[in-house]
Amino acid sequence: MRSRFGAATIAVALAAAPLGAQVYLPMKSGSVRFLVIGDAGTGGREQYEVANQIVRYGKTFPFTFALMLGDNIYGSERPQDFDRKFTRPYKTLLDKGIEFDAALGNHDDPNQRFYKPFNLGGNRYRTFKKGNVRFFVIDSNYLDPEQLKWLDKELAASGSDWKIAYFHHPLYTTARRGPEVEVRAVLEPLFVKHGVDVVFSGHEHIYERYKPQKGIYYFTVGGAAKLRKGDTHPSPMLAARFDRDRSFLLAEISGDSLYFQTVNRAGTVVDKGVLARREVRPPPTSTAAPAPAKTP
Amino acid sequence: MRTFDVRRRILIGAAGAVVAAAGCKKEEAKPAANPTETVFADFAKRVDAYMKLRKTLVDSVGELDPTKSQAEITTHATKLANSIIAARAQAKPGDIFTPELSALVATLIKQEYSRRPDSVQETREDQQEELPAFVPTVNMLYPTTYPLATFPATLLPLLPPLPEQLEYRVVQNYLVLRDIEANVILDVMPNAVPT
Repeated sequence: MRSRFGAATIAVALAAAPLGAQVYLPMKSGSVRFLVIGDAGTGGREQYEVANQIVRYGKTFPFTFALMLGDNIYGSERPQDFDRKFTRPYKTLLDKGIEFDAALGNHDDPNQRFYKPFNLGGNRYRTFKKGNVRFFVIDSNYLDPEQLKWLDKELAASGSDWKIAYFHHPLYTTARRGPEVEVRAVLEPLFVKHGVDVVFSGHEHIYERYKPQKGIYYFTVGGAAKLRKGDTHPSPMLAARFDRDRSFLLAEISGDSLYFQTVNRAGTVVDKGVLARREVRPPPTSTAAPAPAKTP
Repeated sequence: MRTFDVRRRILIGAAGAVVAAAGCKKEEAKPAANPTETVFADFAKRVDAYMKLRKTLVDSVGELDPTKSQAEITTHATKLANSIIAARAQAKPGDIFTPELSALVATLIKQEYSRRPDSVQETREDQQEELPAFVPTVNMLYPTTYPLATFPATLLPLLPPLPEQLEYRVVQNYLVLRDIEANVILDVMPNAVPT
């Protein structure tokens, strides 16, 4: 299969720490631009340092909203914790009117759904649209039949060009704890059935980008504050990985293309590329099954 | 549909456990209603009774709408929790998770676990790893500084449905019934989950 990435590469620092933000995204007129962060809410120094890089990149690449992949607030969730672990590190972004669209992680109190800045509107799961993109925010902590029914219905009803799902637990990862095979068992069939293009997850404190699995691109972006150094492992299924420092992802969708770049805490780009929407991708070259023998 | 079929087969298999737990008398000539359905219906009634009580308590403390103030969310949760705990001061294990239901559910869970491959079992063990070894009790607040273990996604469809305000959780080998917004543990079922 011809990959639009060219040869799959293990993500490495593409350049030394830059003086200015190195933006490889095309910034096309009318494009949908967003930030992706996961496992961010520690309130620790690393979260603030990553946030500073995000602000720096945001000056060159003005995005309008941010996907939060869960574990938005670690530990206690007192008002002062929300201040230290969310509003202070992202103050510049909040002041600029950047919309944060959170998913719930296993460290999050489900009552975060009432916290207005997370835009869950009182719900554990929801869907929203930006331009030609439909996002599905899923609560992978508690996939009850009602949520799965809702997801099936909403995916079917989505008239958008792009379908992007995001939630906390990765369906594919090489990290120590391994993929959430049980979550995969219930979500993947719906994603395949309804043609989801891209999935973002956190939980594992590393960065990984998978080659398409059943036609879906999977990203794990779980290192916006925490890090499990050395926790990704080589795999032929991986297109890129980075586990040496914290990271975040910037994305831009224009027409049938999703451009992305992943940046580490030092401001260095560690992965970048462009993905095609599922429906316009060239069909994969598969090994054709032999024709069944004719029966007399 | 497939889930339903699996559930039905399991339920039929598990019915024996319920019958034993319920101590059904041999002399009952007429075949009783499906024991599983009876137990689930009784559980639904107990959940309904709690939800009625809860509604009166919510009416007194007020509904919570999305807010920018985390203090407001915390205060509301605390008020609701306190009123639930006060109203259920006499609550004890088994009030909602009756022995009959516990026997049935433990059998369902055991059967479900035995069907899962090693990879799933390992994931479930990993999910428990992050939890402290606390012993959940009725009317206890789930410790807010600890994560909530992800509930096994393929197990949920086998359990009796709950209103959206309530959820099941696994803590060590306990199945826990939790009021989400108030963060109060309403009932516990020990030895329900294989360790």
